[in-house]
Amino acid sequence: MDVWNFLVDNWDQSLYLTWEHIWIVGLSVLIATCIGVPLGIIITKHENLAKRVINTANIFMTIPSIALFGLMLPVLSTFGEGLGKVPAVIALVLYSQLPIIRNTYVAIHNVSNPVVNAARGMGMTNWQRLKEVEIPIAVPVILAGLRTAAVMNIGIAAIAAYIGAGGLGVYIQQGIDRVYEAMILSGALLVSVFAILVDALMSLLESAITPKGIKIQRKMGK
Amino acid sequence: MITYDKATKIFGAGAGAITALDNVSFTIEKGEVVVLLGPSGCGKTTTMRLTNRLENLSSGSITVDGRDIQSVDAVKLRQSMGYVIQEIGLFPNKTIAENIAVVPKLLGWSKADIEDRVEKLLQMVQLIPTDSYRDRYPAELSGGQQQRVGVARGLAADPEILLMDEPFGAIDPINREQIQDEFLRVQAKLKKTIAFVSHDIHEAIKMGDKIALFNEGQLIQYDTPEIILTQPKNKFVADFVGSDRALKVLGIMRVKEAMNKNPKNIVQGDTPAPEALKFMEEKNIRYALVVHRGKPTGYITRKDLKYEEGPVRDLSERFPTFVQDKTHLRVALSLMLMHDLILLCVVDENGDLQGTISYQNIQRSILDVYNDETEE
Repeated sequence: MDVWNFLVDNWDQSLYLTWEHIWIVGLSVLIATCIGVPLGIIITKHENLAKRVINTANIFMTIPSIALFGLMLPVLSTFGEGLGKVPAVIALVLYSQLPIIRNTYVAIHNVSNPVVNAARGMGMTNWQRLKEVEIPIAVPVILAGLRTAAVMNIGIAAIAAYIGAGGLGVYIQQGIDRVYEAMILSGALLVSVFAILVDALMSLLESAITPKGIKIQRKMGK
Repeated sequence: MITYDKATKIFGAGAGAITALDNVSFTIEKGEVVVLLGPSGCGKTTTMRLTNRLENLSSGSITVDGRDIQSVDAVKLRQSMGYVIQEIGLFPNKTIAENIAVVPKLLGWSKADIEDRVEKLLQMVQLIPTDSYRDRYPAELSGGQQQRVGVARGLAADPEILLMDEPFGAIDPINREQIQDEFLRVQAKLKKTIAFVSHDIHEAIKMGDKIALFNEGQLIQYDTPEIILTQPKNKFVADFVGSDRALKVLGIMRVKEAMNKNPKNIVQGDTPAPEALKFMEEKNIRYALVVHRGKPTGYITRKDLKYEEGPVRDLSERFPTFVQDKTHLRVALSLMLMHDLILLCVVDENGDLQGTISYQNIQRSILDVYNDETEE
């Protein structure tokens, strides 16, 4: 009940923090997609690069978020952006790379040999093959990667409140500082609800974008 | 016309290099089906993949209608040749119509032309009614149907040349026979120049105008199926075609080549029995064919005619089956065995008598074919 009262009393700030959270996560996933998907595609054509790129993305994933913020602080400070939204978005972009690159790489890589062979043998260029065949077939798995990245980023973005990025993590952080239980719970609740909603929305998007023929193939395969 | 001149392909380099194709020269004439045959790893698939530059030659040359394929852009070259593979490789995200339309679309055909073409091809490969296939997806079709689409896709832009890599290899035996027959019927009309990879001697005999038999990267023998079967060049060829090659010859020869075109033992259907009996006794024949208005209706023996008065057609035994002159000898022989007949009537489409074929005729024609070999 305390949580409810807290949210009703602070509805304007809750709304603002939620918006901030959406903004940080949305921007970071967008940037991460623009980098990760092309990179994932490129490494399918250059196998020797693939391992290195994925390993690098893996390393970022293993650094704890607080530590990453700390590591970036001296570097970004030289540009006057050591704290706030910029380091938060950069960190989230880095964290997103692994699921996005890996899923893109695996999805394109797993397009069956006969399909690729037929496409080449019929005289498609590499670009036509990507556009007409490989990407449409890979789309569900690529989107699954984006979904993982988005949900994960919602959680990590909450921690970014500690470097002054704003967002719903502010409730948690300040709640802890003030030992204000309703505030902590409100923040946690909103972050969770947000994560669940995004997960559901991405699932809908996945289903909407997956080509019909691929859905039928999956159904028949099961 | 495709000419291979000292075509050589070496994979890898140095100590680990593998010669997949070693100085192979032969020509596939325009309108011919040449089956590239041999055990796995013999170079047949490499030969095909070199033809549309999915692999590049190490040395030698391949020319298509006099033009060196190395001088043509690989993508353009591939678009100009139909390509059909065993695993089919239909694009699962595209409908049947879109799959067939791939190459015409790459070539920039108009929408209306593509639609017409898809309709025509679906009919050609017997996916009828076309409306119930056009907008479906590959996953909804059986393997045999998918390969029909694969063939239609290969033919889509009406290429002069078709490359087929074991196209019917993954289809169950019953459907395979049928789809092979259909394909031969289509090919008889289209007269494409076809390189057809197979590891199956039966398929090679059936589909090929010529067979190019490969082993360990070398072309061992290049001849018509008849000559491969009757005059194998060496032990490898003889072993590959099998010790039952005389029976396989029956699968290529047709009734026309063995039949008796002027059977003497014929009586007209309305001949009275006594007259027919007299005719048969004079000629000393045990049985005669009864022909009515040019159509064979049955056969009679002398025993059937004794003490009878009426026309012979009322007394004759009906033939259980007929063959046509384009029937394979293998089928004719099988029918004889099944129906316990020593002779079959050969009829045309209207059922008119063209001649007869007997065990003896078949035996003699086989002996004729093998004469060259036995004389050696």
